[in-house]
Amino acid sequence: MARKLRVWVDHNVCVGNAMCETFAPQVFQLNANRQSEAVNPAGDPEEKILEAAENCPVSAIFVEDADTGERLFP
Amino acid sequence: MAFAAINDDMFAEDVIADPYAYYGRLREEDPVHWNEKYALWVITRHDDVVWMTRHHELFSNAVFKNDPLPAYPDINESDLGLYEYVRNYQADQFIQHDRPEHLEMRKVVHSYFTPRSMEAWRGFVKDAVKELLDAAEAKGRMDVMKDLATPLPVLVIAQMMGVPKEDRAHVRHLAELLLNIGRGEADRMKPLVEGMQGMIDYVSPLVDERIVKPGNDFISVLADGEKRGIFTRHQVLVNTSLLLLAGHETTINLLCNGTLSFIRHQDQWEMLKDDPAARAKQATEECLRYDAPVKSIQRIAAQDVEMRGKIVHKDDRIRWFITSANRDPEVFAQVDTFDISRDPNPHVAFGSGVHHCLGATLARLEGQEVFKALAERFPSLHLETEHLEYQPSITFRSLKSLPVIWN
Repeated sequence: MARKLRVWVDHNVCVGNAMCETFAPQVFQLNANRQSEAVNPAGDPEEKILEAAENCPVSAIFVEDADTGERLFP
Repeated sequence: MAFAAINDDMFAEDVIADPYAYYGRLREEDPVHWNEKYALWVITRHDDVVWMTRHHELFSNAVFKNDPLPAYPDINESDLGLYEYVRNYQADQFIQHDRPEHLEMRKVVHSYFTPRSMEAWRGFVKDAVKELLDAAEAKGRMDVMKDLATPLPVLVIAQMMGVPKEDRAHVRHLAELLLNIGRGEADRMKPLVEGMQGMIDYVSPLVDERIVKPGNDFISVLADGEKRGIFTRHQVLVNTSLLLLAGHETTINLLCNGTLSFIRHQDQWEMLKDDPAARAKQATEECLRYDAPVKSIQRIAAQDVEMRGKIVHKDDRIRWFITSANRDPEVFAQVDTFDISRDPNPHVAFGSGVHHCLGATLARLEGQEVFKALAERFPSLHLETEHLEYQPSITFRSLKSLPVIWN
């Protein structure tokens, strides 16, 4: 079973570039301000979520192991 | 009417010299302003700029394809054929597309520019800065524009393109011709087209080579896009020039305008010198806010849009001004103060939304390394002359030169 993740987007930093949506569309969705939100951290495989985080042009995405608290990105 | 009429000549000398007073006044008095002279909307508030950048479906970025009006400022009538060439050339840039095509194209190049992959370039940038400053030091004076800000981004981009060392001077020459896109002179089309054709001639064989034998350079990334049917050959060539151009003028302005801001604000220069390594990052953000490299960006309305009670009609030209948005008192305290400890600093120098500047991380890195190196090596930096002039452009905030000396 895949591990449970905690995923969040820093809205002080997010510019709504929306690339995360294309890498992990089930996890990231733009809100009414057109900034990204992690709506369902279990929606896509971990590697897709990490790819989305890596490709955020302003490093606004954070990923942790929900159980151990281990930081997976950045 | 309580206010004096707004002069619509955005190319007037005083507006070019001090855009902050002019666009600041528009922001206060008429934030969605119809400029009669150039037949375009002028948007000056921070929240409106962010809103526009985040609603890309309402404002087309296919400006060269969709702009129904002629070039401005005016060009020589005999150069109209050349302008058509420029239009077709520019229209093939990936940034001159809307979704869904834009997304497919951007995806090809996006991963090359992630914050982590750009960090790997810091060492190269540092070395290049050192080399340029060594030469300046030996000379005892420098024009920050000519001796540092212009060659640095070309060195970096030439390396990214994977061009042989002996071709760098040629690439630099082409880059200088391409800079004419942002100028206002009536005869700018000729050198511009020469640069564009020169790029096509120079890059074509490189693409042929990288299609067969790909490397980890940027041309190989684009060539792969061609192999996958996302880019045509012309688009590969044009987007290579785009990299050279977009990363050039903008970075020059960041480095020159930032250096000038430090010279004009000695307290902030002292603060940077106190701990350059720790302060360079935030300082670069404030340089981007205070005297942004790009003044304004144009779109074409994709449909009728209401903004602050006015109707922007489909196909209208509309330009947002970073220059005024970055000094909007609704968002920033003490807007006219250059403050390198400002945090947070939500400036819009790189835009926002799906078209957020692809090279932002690289630009930041180059700014950080240059300001750090200047503070460490030339602590007594000052102007050689108070007489400074700006290019007559409404797109770029470009000094013509920036001669400095030190003790």
